[in-house]
Amino acid sequence: MSKSWVARYAHLAAPLWAVVGCGALASNASAEDVIRFGAPLPITGPLAPEAVKQQQGYDLWAEEANKAGGISVGGKKYKVEIVYADYQSNTPRAVQATEQMITQGNVNFMFGAFGSGAAKAASTVSEKYKVPTLAATASSVQVYDQGYKYLFGTFTPNDTLTTPLTQIIKAKVPEVKKVAILARNDLFPLAIAQEMEKSAKASGFEVVYFEKYAIGTLDHSAALSQIKSLAPQWVFITGYINDLLLVRKQMVDQEMKAPVVTMIAGPAYQEFIESGGPTAENITSASWWHPAERYEGKDIFGSTENFVKLFKAKYKSEPDYGQASAALCGALFQMAIEKAGSLDRDKVRDELAKLDVVTFFGPVKFGPNGQINSLDPPVFQIQGAKPVVLFPDAIKQGDLKVGVN
Amino acid sequence: MHAAQILVNAVVLGCLYACIAIGFSLVWGVLNVINLIHGSFIVLGAYLAFGLYNALHISPWYSVAVAAPLFFVLGYLLQRLLLNRVITAPVLVTLTLTFGLDLILNNAMIYFFKADYRKLMLTPSLGSVSIFDVVVPVDRLIATVSALALTGVLYLLLRRSRVGRAIVAVRLDRDAAVLMGVDVKSIYAIAFGLGAALAGCAGVLMALIFPISPLTSSGYLGKAFVVCVLGGLGSVSGALAGGLLLALVEGIGSTFFGPAHATTLSFILLIIFLILRPQGLLGRKGFE
Repeated sequence: MSKSWVARYAHLAAPLWAVVGCGALASNASAEDVIRFGAPLPITGPLAPEAVKQQQGYDLWAEEANKAGGISVGGKKYKVEIVYADYQSNTPRAVQATEQMITQGNVNFMFGAFGSGAAKAASTVSEKYKVPTLAATASSVQVYDQGYKYLFGTFTPNDTLTTPLTQIIKAKVPEVKKVAILARNDLFPLAIAQEMEKSAKASGFEVVYFEKYAIGTLDHSAALSQIKSLAPQWVFITGYINDLLLVRKQMVDQEMKAPVVTMIAGPAYQEFIESGGPTAENITSASWWHPAERYEGKDIFGSTENFVKLFKAKYKSEPDYGQASAALCGALFQMAIEKAGSLDRDKVRDELAKLDVVTFFGPVKFGPNGQINSLDPPVFQIQGAKPVVLFPDAIKQGDLKVGVN
Repeated sequence: MHAAQILVNAVVLGCLYACIAIGFSLVWGVLNVINLIHGSFIVLGAYLAFGLYNALHISPWYSVAVAAPLFFVLGYLLQRLLLNRVITAPVLVTLTLTFGLDLILNNAMIYFFKADYRKLMLTPSLGSVSIFDVVVPVDRLIATVSALALTGVLYLLLRRSRVGRAIVAVRLDRDAAVLMGVDVKSIYAIAFGLGAALAGCAGVLMALIFPISPLTSSGYLGKAFVVCVLGGLGSVSGALAGGLLLALVEGIGSTFFGPAHATTLSFILLIIFLILRPQGLLGRKGFE
């Protein structure tokens, strides 16, 4: 009885197998002239807004590269294909997704997972399989001090953000004496908070509060009440955009005011400004790139202006550092592959390590640990619902305004 | 003044915790079912409030009136059609069933609403009230008052109404209740329906304060669990006491040991209670 049942279904399934087989053959045939880039991203979950940005950056680069005929490897043009996997804002799944892409997804090269924590975790896999990986959004030194050969990142170390920020506040707001720091207990947000503590102490500020909050915390009222009672003139809060919007709302609920409020990383995003509304005004922040920069690059985008123009045409919005860094990673891969003249992973890796080039994002050169060491990240403030650059002087758009209500 | 602020924050949060936990406590106490779908019901309630506000501009405090009957029917049917079939089986069976149902509901919400965080933004925003230097946000105040009102209604229902007395009777002694002519299956369904309605209403109120995402459901469930163990099962006053104790421990713990350790402290407290006072603050010994 059961035999005939199985036999009947096997018979029915035969045409299906044929179709699947043809599909596999077809994709094998087309895989010949395509370069596949794996991109594990937190497309759903609390980090989803960040993933969308990276995706936009990768897609814009892939579109531009394919418009120009593709990546040229030893005289032959290869189309770019980006393979996405959603790891649902869950770091262990990012590691699984990376392994799956490399072992089963036939990807040639990898983009890193989002943020320092997940990028570090996933890099162990790509290192094991010797797949060159460009991390678009990992800045913490802890990602790069593992002695890995195949991992490169386009964000400068965290202290390059906190040091100029502290110097500006020290010079412009003499009433700032006490600093309170509240950090998301996660690799990047905590690392940058620790850098901030160092920078603040080095500038002679007193750090009156330094605490971490757990990932997924919904109620910050106890921590905020305590900060308020200490009356710091500078409140420094780290986390990702959802955390920061929540903290900001609860600050307003508690009627917390301070001459300076800094939040990293989130205020560079248009959504922060839109969701925060008037409460986003005068929040200071720092990031790794700003559309006001003016670089003439040798990459596929050419200049910062051209990148911003292309981005606006495709997405009808202003690009921020997340999108720009993702697009840059694509452009860097393209340059390295074209220089190597081969899809050999080791050759491409060596070309990435040797890169010393100006791009629309700024000058790009990786240090011996794989982290970029050639950028001057901008400090900015939300003024009139727009991010206004305060530093570096070359691209300065306005002066620091004091007072966050 | 800082101490007063911490105390006020904790009382407000404690009432919200009680509101999250009370339906869970009722179902656990009466049916002896650890209802793992409770957290997802709360999130679904929050989405209802979010949808009604954004589509029809109905304020969340009115949405409670929509959520209560809707979730009651949902819970009633769930109990009648599914849970009643295994209600006499060992507790692990009902636990597994509600776990499975939770997976289905939670993944359905991820599918339909995505896992992104949403926020119900009232326009204009409600602001805060401050007495001396103690500040209370008005949205939290409304949620707290509504939470207290809901618990009050449940208390009256259990004390004064015929159905309520029957629920209490089943809770105390199922077999005796059957002998007294109580239709136990129907009482089970009503109790589960009430639990679901309370979860839905809690979700509506939480939408005022917290961001909404299917991923927050396990957080709500965890809080409900701790509150029940601390306060004692099945009683309205137990849930309130448990909620207040948990919020106080979190608030004071956050102040003295840092916010990252607030959750650790609350779970240490949970373990201490499980060892030393398993019946909870207001539960009766031997009943758990």
